[in-house]
Amino acid sequence: MIKFTRNIKRTLSINLFNGLLTLAILLIIGLGFIFTLNWLIFSANWKVVTLNLPLYAFGSFPVDQRWRPALWIISLLSLSVITLIGPNRKWLRKSLPLAWIATLPLGIYLLSGGLGLPMVMSRHWGGLSLTILLTECSLLFALPLGIFLALGRQSELPLVKTLSSIYIDSMRAVPLIAVLFFGQLLIPLFLPIGVEIDRVWRAIFAFTLFVSAYIAEDIRGGLQAIPNTQIEAAATLGLNQFQITHFILIPQALRIALPALTNQAIGLFQNTSLMAILGLIELLGIGRSLLANPEFIGRYIEVYIWLASVYWLFCTFMAVLARHLEKRLAIQKTNI
Amino acid sequence: MEHIVSAKNLSKSYTKGLYALDNISLQVDEGKVLVVMGPSGSGKSTLIRTFNGLEAFDAGELNILGIRIDASHDERRIRQIRKRVGMVFQQFNLFPHLSILENIVLAPVQVQKRLQTEAEEHAMYLLAQMGIATHANKYPSQLSGGEQQRVAIARALALKPELLLFDEPTSALDPERVNEVLDVMRNLAKQGMTMIVVTHEVGFAKEVGDQVLFLDSGKVIETSTPNVFFSNARHERSRKFLNQIENK
Repeated sequence: MIKFTRNIKRTLSINLFNGLLTLAILLIIGLGFIFTLNWLIFSANWKVVTLNLPLYAFGSFPVDQRWRPALWIISLLSLSVITLIGPNRKWLRKSLPLAWIATLPLGIYLLSGGLGLPMVMSRHWGGLSLTILLTECSLLFALPLGIFLALGRQSELPLVKTLSSIYIDSMRAVPLIAVLFFGQLLIPLFLPIGVEIDRVWRAIFAFTLFVSAYIAEDIRGGLQAIPNTQIEAAATLGLNQFQITHFILIPQALRIALPALTNQAIGLFQNTSLMAILGLIELLGIGRSLLANPEFIGRYIEVYIWLASVYWLFCTFMAVLARHLEKRLAIQKTNI
Repeated sequence: MEHIVSAKNLSKSYTKGLYALDNISLQVDEGKVLVVMGPSGSGKSTLIRTFNGLEAFDAGELNILGIRIDASHDERRIRQIRKRVGMVFQQFNLFPHLSILENIVLAPVQVQKRLQTEAEEHAMYLLAQMGIATHANKYPSQLSGGEQQRVAIARALALKPELLLFDEPTSALDPERVNEVLDVMRNLAKQGMTMIVVTHEVGFAKEVGDQVLFLDSGKVIETSTPNVFFSNARHERSRKFLNQIENK
């Protein structure tokens, strides 16, 4: 604090010119702030947001069934809260990863229906719930695939090594949008007539293929950071190659790669918005279709500011969760 | 009686003409302690690491607990050996993401398929013997070097090995911590454990060793009892080496 005030003093009091300059900059920032606030409160018409909140959340999901995606999102949020501030009991902490994985089948069941719930076609899925589904599903599929690719790239078997390397390198050489186009437009052409894969699943498939290549490289970085002596110590204990990988290498590599993996998760969440131009009505897609509605014509800025804040909120939330996880793993190492 | 370890004409070279192991033969009998000494780069570590297959060799033959391996480095036989031979490293090499107890229990449960509860009981017994039972639920980074090395010894003992290999077990420790590890090793020797120890600890070698093997440039310079080696070494090179560690 003392340092801070001293720095301010030094900044302001060196000479008149610097003082004036500081004042001018503060004035500009202040004016910008006031104008923005003024626009946000008085000029902007937030009806395009407030009237359509359920649409942003659930898309065109049948109105009487909206509780289903709502329930799913609420369960995800409450699980996040438990993860962040839940009690520190061992059985609870141990079952958390499983609970997180279980939210995926739960979400798919709640969205698509069956087993007592009326079926809802995937073209009615939309909004935030679709964005979250795309992200979570692709991530959970891409993570194991990425681990296998990373192990494959380090393998001593020449064929496995070459194939993994070719896959990773070529996936990283292609832009995401091209992979998504491939998923949406080309896969149906390759499939025999009568066989059809749903568009949402094709998108998840494409995202998984793409992200797994990047995840593989993050995990390879983690694997390379583990000293060889760890492998020697494990081999000395009589563990076989599979056991060494399972008990020693993967857990340590995942810990090291965690910050990079968080990056991938946040990037993927934002990249799902690309599906808006490929015909899925996820969060951004809802915004675009609302803008096409004559009632809300010209309300671009409101819609995009709103969407930006929603994306910001969720990405920040993911970052907070990840930082919490990092801290917990560090605590495990030093403090219990 | 068959030897626990018997090596015949072991040779290994990393670069042509430069031998890490040069025609080494030795035997260790049950319940005996062989101390391996020599200047750095003499091949001590390479030698001890061939005994559980961490290092392959180019020529010669090894017989560990009746299992024969040769230059072909047969993986299956090496795993058979590793299940019965424990090893302790200079840098402890504990698994940082596992608690002390998990470190010790991992191999008995996964390799020997023992029951979790029985393995944990045995682990707690070993930790108590090492005097560190209170640390069972801590993680390696929370322990001092000497404590970590005792955990490493307990981890090796958990598999109930018939032979223990020590690769400079006290070289990475603070001088004050050396004895707590050496004490554990003295006890093991008293209990009749067969051990091969690479070390610079003269006192330990004198007290516990049955044989001292002195290596230089990959060659066995001499093998003597500690009495002879430390007071009346037969070879000029050995005497020079001993002078140097005494002066340190």
